[in-house]
Amino acid sequence: MSKTMIEVNDVTMRFRMNNDKILSLKEFVTTAIRGKLNYNEFTALSHVSFEVKRGETLGLIGRNGAGKSTLLKIISGILKPTEGSIAVHGNVVPMLELGSGFDFDLTGKENIFLNGAILGYDEEFLKAKYDEIVDFSELGQFIDVPIRNYSSGMLARLAFSVAAIVKPEILIVDEILSVGDAAFQEKSHKRMMDLMGGGTTVLFVSHSLEQIREMCKRVVWLDQGQIKMIGDAEEVCGAYVL
Amino acid sequence: MKMKIQKSRRPSVNVPKVIVCAVAIYALLVVLMYWLMGEQLHLRESRGNFEMPAAEAGTVELCQGAVVEQSFTVKIQRLQSVSVQWGTYYRPNAGTMTMELYNTLDGSLVVSESFDAAAIPEGGLTTMTLETPVETVYNVPLLLRIWSDSLPGSAASPLMSVSAREDGYSLSLNGVPTDGVLCFSVTGEDYIWTGLHYWEFAAGFGVLLILAGLLVWLRWKKGKHSYVVNALIAVKKYKFLIRQLVSRDFKTKYKRSILGVFWSFLNPLLTMAVQYVVFSSLFRFDVPHYPVYLITGIVIFNFFTEATNMALSSIVGNAGLITKVYMPKYIYPLTRVLSSLVNLVISLIPLMLVVLFSGIIPTKAYFLVIFVLLCLTVFSLGVGLLLAAAMVFFRDIQFLWGVLTMIWMYLTPIFYPESILPDNVAWVLGVNPLYYFITFARTCIMGGISPEPIVYVQCALMALGSLLVGSLIFRKSQDRFVLYL
Repeated sequence: MSKTMIEVNDVTMRFRMNNDKILSLKEFVTTAIRGKLNYNEFTALSHVSFEVKRGETLGLIGRNGAGKSTLLKIISGILKPTEGSIAVHGNVVPMLELGSGFDFDLTGKENIFLNGAILGYDEEFLKAKYDEIVDFSELGQFIDVPIRNYSSGMLARLAFSVAAIVKPEILIVDEILSVGDAAFQEKSHKRMMDLMGGGTTVLFVSHSLEQIREMCKRVVWLDQGQIKMIGDAEEVCGAYVL
Repeated sequence: MKMKIQKSRRPSVNVPKVIVCAVAIYALLVVLMYWLMGEQLHLRESRGNFEMPAAEAGTVELCQGAVVEQSFTVKIQRLQSVSVQWGTYYRPNAGTMTMELYNTLDGSLVVSESFDAAAIPEGGLTTMTLETPVETVYNVPLLLRIWSDSLPGSAASPLMSVSAREDGYSLSLNGVPTDGVLCFSVTGEDYIWTGLHYWEFAAGFGVLLILAGLLVWLRWKKGKHSYVVNALIAVKKYKFLIRQLVSRDFKTKYKRSILGVFWSFLNPLLTMAVQYVVFSSLFRFDVPHYPVYLITGIVIFNFFTEATNMALSSIVGNAGLITKVYMPKYIYPLTRVLSSLVNLVISLIPLMLVVLFSGIIPTKAYFLVIFVLLCLTVFSLGVGLLLAAAMVFFRDIQFLWGVLTMIWMYLTPIFYPESILPDNVAWVLGVNPLYYFITFARTCIMGGISPEPIVYVQCALMALGSLLVGSLIFRKSQDRFVLYL
């Protein structure tokens, strides 16, 4: 019997949206005095429940603004749900958007350690895997060059290599599979498949139904913050297209 | 709402080992502090010291047969010295002046000393110093008697203040009671009760520490969660990350400058040089070892502004990371403050150079500066947490803080002596934590001695108070950061 890795229980996420986002003290005070501090409630997710088992790859589809990213942020602990509860059994590694954990004045090597630390890897692990990361990224001698000199393809390869080197228990992928050149795309795709085969639980967001069909068994279709459909990939994707 | 994230790779902590280490370190620190604080641990400058009143007139020409008597009482536990100020009529004088201090309760002579009149300049002082402080004159009526064997025309005159009045003091000139007070001062030391009971206090806290340790250990054994164990786990888990972030800040700060790290070294030195030139030639502040006085203030205040400004932008500046990866948010301001601390440690090198260059000999009290730097760091962290949280919601804070630190700088005696502050502003010093920190450091560095024990408590309380307020506000608001970034 496979273990449940992620339990999402009746999660509701509401944002308070000001008519105008107030960011300065003066504006805040003046609008508060004028009594114009009204908030619009915006429900990004309402009563979402599902479970993800160990080793499963769950696809998330839906239109822009359907709540996919909010859901991922809740699962990775960045946001706290307004209602409901969530239990995550395992370490979550998000595949960062390109370069968001990087410092452009540091060399590739320094960035591997920095980014690795941000992703929650420990020092011994990174030291042991360092050569493997460099090999995988195919950066060669560029690893000792400040990454501000890298091309975007090189950055992408570095980012992917750091994130994918570990076998995280839960990997969150938000549409970043098309990195690097064709050869590297092939390689990273293979690596993803390896990870999934190796027992990693993957949450996968994509607008490419082709990728979803290929990689996921189960798919959750979010529509305006609610689960419209959950089930077999083919079925859900079929319904989604219609 | 229930939120439960169990990390399966939760690092384990050897709690008993940590507790034993903590107790051992505490014991070591207690002994070390006892040694470093030395005499200042149980003796302080007496609060009952009598300050010399401003001279307004001469008393009598103190020639043969003349006598000036001032009776007084002081609340000094260990009397150390008595000084008298003299007028010379602007002429060379000759003869011997004798000062005698009597205990009028039993009529005994406490101390007496003679001085050569020729050696006293106009407005000069003669000081009787007691080699072994006298401990029997606390609040006892005393009589200072001055006479001489000079001839008229070559005798000096003790100065007096006509307008000064002190309860229980009386001045008599040649046996005639006179209004006013002689220009004299009395100094000594008092015992510090807490310092005398240092070992009892240390043992008491030690017992408390051991009990707290046992409690934590018991809870840990039962598998219950406790703040201490959680904090230890967090330290272990995020140690590597914090180190990486600090080294990142540090590496990138000077990455593309030619002099690099040398700037951390050069900056306080240059600031000091500029201020030294400006203030010593323009304002002529009369501060002994003025360069040391300046650079101590500059190094400490610079750290405070740098750390708080870096912490201020830490959450907003890392918005890209905060919205994508989960890590405790206090890590961001914490690492910024720590990287400023690295800078501070480097700037201690120019500080020491200035100290040695000024001819001050370092003493063991220099190690006590570590204590105040620790307090300063904790204090800055507290302020930084508060600012970082406020900055997320109100971006105006960054501009406001720039102005506030400037005001704060002028209210802190960094380049001016505290004595120039008018009385109606002087109270500001008492509520300015940076004043306490800077004064602490100056006492150690320029005086070569430890401050009074109470100053340690004040500094520690201000640091912890700031951390408490800052972290409470940060904790309360941190869940909403993401929504405002």
